[in-house]
Amino acid sequence: MNETLVDAKSDARFNARTDTRRFVTFPLGERRFALDSSQVTELVMPGPVHEFPHTMRSLEGVLIRRGEAIPVCDLQGAFGHDTPRCLYVIAQCSYAGRAHTVAIPVSGSCELVQGERYDLPQSEILEAVPADDVTFVAGLLRTGGVTVPMLDLDLVVSHCIHPSNASAREAKR
Amino acid sequence: MRRCFGADSMAAAAKQTSRQASFLSQLPKPVSATAGPVILFTAGGVRFAVEANEVAEIRDGEERGMAYRPKGSEPIDFALQVGLGAGRVVRFLVLKPGESPQGAASGVATGVATGVALGVTEVERMTSLPKVVPLPALFQGAERQWYRGLLLLENEVIPLVRTKYWRQVALPPGRIGTIDE
Repeated sequence: MNETLVDAKSDARFNARTDTRRFVTFPLGERRFALDSSQVTELVMPGPVHEFPHTMRSLEGVLIRRGEAIPVCDLQGAFGHDTPRCLYVIAQCSYAGRAHTVAIPVSGSCELVQGERYDLPQSEILEAVPADDVTFVAGLLRTGGVTVPMLDLDLVVSHCIHPSNASAREAKR
Repeated sequence: MRRCFGADSMAAAAKQTSRQASFLSQLPKPVSATAGPVILFTAGGVRFAVEANEVAEIRDGEERGMAYRPKGSEPIDFALQVGLGAGRVVRFLVLKPGESPQGAASGVATGVATGVALGVTEVERMTSLPKVVPLPALFQGAERQWYRGLLLLENEVIPLVRTKYWRQVALPPGRIGTIDE
């Protein structure tokens, strides 16, 4: 009886975590990543990033969208790419228990796709994705016969704000 | 289903996706406000703003080290303080005196007035009713103290300085002089 209950709970958890929805895929560095489309607020053409003196190394400045200042993350340190920006993905993330909107510069075209997300154990992600690309991966998206790593935006932002915190979280996985 | 946004149709695609995403997003309405009249100034080649009603006077600094300093105030190189390197200080924005930080911290009114003269390169102009948006919360460093918010003015974003903080700044690195009038 107990085992049945545990199985049912486990199935429910699996179903909750494995969902078929729409996703936005985009290139970061040399690899494509995906975000759940519900996280993505909009895609905007490269516009002026308003810079001003501040102390956050991984924030370039702000974009102004609909009267709101949106911080632009500099992901060059995390993903090592220095290519021309094609778009900004504006997405919502969680940091320190609060919701934030951030702009992520991406270097190529974005796609809106349907697929299935799998939140797999890190060991299985390691099998599916080259080890060097595992950082900041929250799960896998299977779409159109390809597997795309899901970007852990919370972790990316955490890394931008406090790199040591993000490293510790990544190590715990 | 797969839709590809190629380079050619990027503008249209971005517009379309933006429209589509607006149904998905639950963006809070931007919290903006208007400030009273502000004075725009430059320091270290960057434009800043300060609320006009916080400024007692604007003075010329004849030369570095011989800065004007009213009684009870400290002149500082604003550009240096915000990490822009030592700036060319040509003018001083003398802030109105405020309560000393010690008195404010203890909750006891000390009656000691402290002020500060911000050494800046140029005072450009005064403008009214600019829109002010909060500094995004991800900016978690000293800038949260430096600025009260960001002004949106003529397609430009201008930090609005937090005068309360600047009155309390410890000055040795950016101190310019201590010559009384």
